[in-house]
Order: sequence, then structure tokens, then C-alpha cells
Amino acid sequence: MTHKGAGEGRELTAETLARVEGEGAMRVVVTDGEVSEVQLRIYEPPRFFEAMLRGRGHTEPPDLTSRICGICPVAYEMSACRAIEDACGVSIPEDIGLMRRLLYCGEWIESHTLHVYLLHAPDFLGYPGAVEMAADHRDVVERGLRLKKAGNALMTLVGGRAVHPVNVRVGGFYRLPTGAELRALRPQLERALDDALATVSLAAGFDFPDFEQDHEYVSLRSERDYPIEDGSFVTSSGRDFAVSAFGDWVAEEQVPHSHALHARLRDTPGPYAVGPLARYSLNHDRLPPTAREAAYAAGLGTTCRNPFRSIVVRAVELVVACEEALRIIDGWSDGGAPSVPVPPRAGVGHGATEAPRGTLYHRYELAPDGTVLDAQIVPPTSQNQAGIESDLRGFVQDRLHLDTEELTRQCEQAIRNYDPCISCATHFLELTVEEG
Amino acid sequence: MSALVVGIGNRSRGDDGVGPLVAARVAELGLPGVEVVTYDEPLALVEHLAGHDDVVVVDAARSRGGRPGAVRVVRVGAAPLPRDAAALGSHGLGVADAVELARALGRLPRRLTLVGVEALVIELGAPLSEPVRDGLDAAVDAVVAALPAAAR
Repeated sequence: MTHKGAGEGRELTAETLARVEGEGAMRVVVTDGEVSEVQLRIYEPPRFFEAMLRGRGHTEPPDLTSRICGICPVAYEMSACRAIEDACGVSIPEDIGLMRRLLYCGEWIESHTLHVYLLHAPDFLGYPGAVEMAADHRDVVERGLRLKKAGNALMTLVGGRAVHPVNVRVGGFYRLPTGAELRALRPQLERALDDALATVSLAAGFDFPDFEQDHEYVSLRSERDYPIEDGSFVTSSGRDFAVSAFGDWVAEEQVPHSHALHARLRDTPGPYAVGPLARYSLNHDRLPPTAREAAYAAGLGTTCRNPFRSIVVRAVELVVACEEALRIIDGWSDGGAPSVPVPPRAGVGHGATEAPRGTLYHRYELAPDGTVLDAQIVPPTSQNQAGIESDLRGFVQDRLHLDTEELTRQCEQAIRNYDPCISCATHFLELTVEEG
Repeated sequence: MSALVVGIGNRSRGDDGVGPLVAARVAELGLPGVEVVTYDEPLALVEHLAGHDDVVVVDAARSRGGRPGAVRVVRVGAAPLPRDAAALGSHGLGVADAVELARALGRLPRRLTLVGVEALVIELGAPLSEPVRDGLDAAVDAVVAALPAAAR
């Protein structure tokens, strides 16, 4: 085992393992006891899809882009629908908006449960992975699987399928579930709410490294509710801007070491972050009552700056998703049309919604007949990339005394704080130390 | 109880779509008592393995030095699977992880067979590669051979 003191040159490189959700590698260079370089390549950009969308009809982007991610297809569908409807000047009735929020709750439950229970919790409980954790904490893993199943049930009823929903269309849905069908899910969702609350208690009991970052937080914020499928942008330094102004505020830059474009705020030198910590810190006053109580009981303040505590915030957002799903089901009344017509017209449209791991932005330019002339997709992971690199820089610097195995483990945990798409790989970094 | 064939993978990612493609071919055979499903992610296996006597899982695989299109059959027995995600599946939380998680939770079916097809290209948006296309028939045969005699 290599064990180097400060003052020597080190280079930590990590090459990728095969996996589906992304392509990753990490390189950390240490010179004279200082971390001089951190490069992370963790996301494969959807450029192919942007190119493929050109020439397609205006009704196609939701279905096509949902294929980009097996974990958050609803996010792609919702941002695409909103952008196309914006381009066509169509507003969606309130009940369709609520049904979209309900579907999205299902995805939050599925995605957050997967990350909290099977990818991140083993880090905190001291296991190499979920399988080893299951041997000692079977009840915990069973609870996670039960929660995920509740998310699956919502997705199946509203979306038509547990993964890659087929019921979503521009303008709404092909079919709306009936109130009776929705109410039949109630017992399972009540149980899920209890399980989500137990998740908050579990996560709140973990030990967290003493580490804080000061990234600019960026999130959607809506009139009334915690941001999921709706809202306009706000930032932690008090700026706000419309979804249509995203391109004026955010620049995407090519960096040599990554396939992905790095996003940065044009007027802010440091990195910015999207995702649960940003959402929570900018919308604490929008938490529904049970989630707010749970956050308080877990010791979370109105903002959270420790990325390792993101697992607690994710658990609180599980409560939000269950609580909101129950609220929507209880208030549902049948009778509305499942969709509204979205006749094409020439124009540019923007859509942004809160994917489980952060804000997902779509922009489409349409020809008069609806043909897509140009498409832009900015996923949350490419927006968080610079922030993750910044975290690693500070984090590794304070832990150079650790041996390679432990440092690798802790770096993986630090990256997983952001639930990047690559976190589908529970162990994706093979860290090797080279003497400088 | 019926036999279950599970195809795992994402058809938008080149050879990663081989699992669902093979599953679709098996479904077309209309074998009696054989249910065929596809999942995008292996974790779904944990939820669906129990409740069947015979399960055959087909997925893209990436092993070091493996020949693209080659078909590998692994009968899951009492010994834990090697957990090298790259060797048995192309997914992050891989098929081997899902199987072992199911084992830890007492959810394994009586007989479980994994059919891996060595992948060449799993880039987002890529088509199925030539070698994997050529290996499709062999993969379908391997899945059918792993089913109980009554279904064949």
C-alpha cells in the first residue's frame, strides 16, 4: 500500500469501468504537497441526441430524449414537453400539470431510493456495496426495495410502464388514470411515506465528514410548491431569471479533459451546483409540512452546505415526493381531457424541470411545420461537474495522509454526493498512485 | 410456475440493446409457459426473480479479451458470482450485483441462468455492431437451451 506524506508529488488517476449511464475517469495531480490539478470526466453528453433530433417532428423529442437515461426518463420527457409547448405558445391546464407532477414524484422516489439505499448508504455504513450491506442490514435494504416499488407503481399507473413511460405526449398524456385507480395506490404510498420518514432518520444518524463548499446554488422555484416540474430560476446570491433566459446566464464550455461541456454562470467565477442541496436551500419555505418537520428533526437547517449531507436531503425529498403524491391523489377529480392540442408554429421554446439529480434544461427551435431545426440539452451532471472537481480538490488536499485505498473510497463517496449519472456504477474509480 | 426470460439493456446504446433484442426474438417463438420481459436496469431483477422456477437473464457483457458477439452461459449455483461488473454485465449496478443482492434477500429462483453476449459498442445512440448482430442467433439458442424441457 502506498502511503506518501505531503511534500512529494503524486498523481492519482482513475480509469473507467464498463457501465451504462456514463463514461468516467478521474485524475488528481499533487505537486509539492498541494493538489495542483483535478480532472473529472464523468458524463457522456447527449450530443448525438441533439443532432438526431434535428429534422424530427415537434411531437417526438419527449419520447426520443427519454432514452438518454434509464434512471430519469421522466425528467427528459417533462423538460422536452415544456420546451415544445413553450415554442408553440401552448399552456397546459392545471390538472395535466398535476398529473405530470405525480408522475415525476414516482421518478424521484425510484431514483432517490436507488441512490440512497443501494449506492450511497453502503459508504456511510462501512460496506463496499449494497450486497455486503444486505447481509447485515436486510431490513434496511428491504425497506429500500419496498420504497422503490412504490415509485414503480406510480410510474406504471401514470406513465404506463415502470421505466421509460409511454403515456406521455406533448400537450399531456394519452390517457389519464381515473381517481379510483389513483386511490387504489394510496395504501402503498402511505406505507412509502412512513418508509421515507424512516429513511430520513437513518440518514440523519450517519457520520458526515466535516466539509463545506460555497458553490452558487441554482434551482427552480415556483409560486407555491417545492420545485419539481415547474418554476423559474433562482440562485443563492439572490438572482432570479426566467427559464427562457438560461442561455443568457449559463455558458457551456468545452474543457480538454472531458467529453462533456462544463457549464458555468457567466457572471460568477466559481462553480455552481444544481440538485437536492440547491433545491432544498433555495426552497426550504416550499417544503410540504411533513417533509419540513422531518428536515427539522434530522437537524437540517434552512440551507445545507455539506455535500455529504445530500443523502439526508435526498431522504427529505423522498418524503416530499410521497407527501405530494398523496396530496395530488386526494385532490384528483376525473373528467378533464388527457391532453391539449399543440399545433406547431415557428419559434424557440425553453423547458426546465428538476430531475432527481438537478435541473435539466431543453431548448428547441422549430420550423413553421414543427420540424426541429435545433436542439440543446443541458443535463444536471454536466452542470455539476465543475463543482465536483472543486469539492475533490479541497477534499483530497486535507486527506493526502490517507493510503490509496482509503483515499479512493472517500473520493468515490465525494463524487457520489452529487448522484452523477455515473453513480449507477457503485465502484467506478480504479485509483492508481504515481510518484511525481 | 412459468419460466421467465429477462432481457436487460438499453436499445439506444448500441450493443447494450442485445438483451432486449434477444428477449424479443425469444418472445416471437411463442414458447408455452414462458413469460418474456425486458428491463433497462439490472436492479429490477431483484424485484422480479422470485416467484419463478426457471429464470434466464440475457444481457450485454464486457469481459477483458472477450470476442465481440461471443455468447457465454453461466448457471448460477450455490457459489457467489464473481462481482467484476465488467465481466458479467455492462451496467453499473450489474447483473452479478443484482443476483447476489437477491441471494442475500432470499429471492433467488430455483434455477437461474445468465446468458451474456460480448458487446463491442455501448455508446449512446450507436447501432448494434456487426459481430453482435451475427451472434444474435447463438444467443437466442442459448436462452432456449437454458429453459426447462417442457418449454422448448
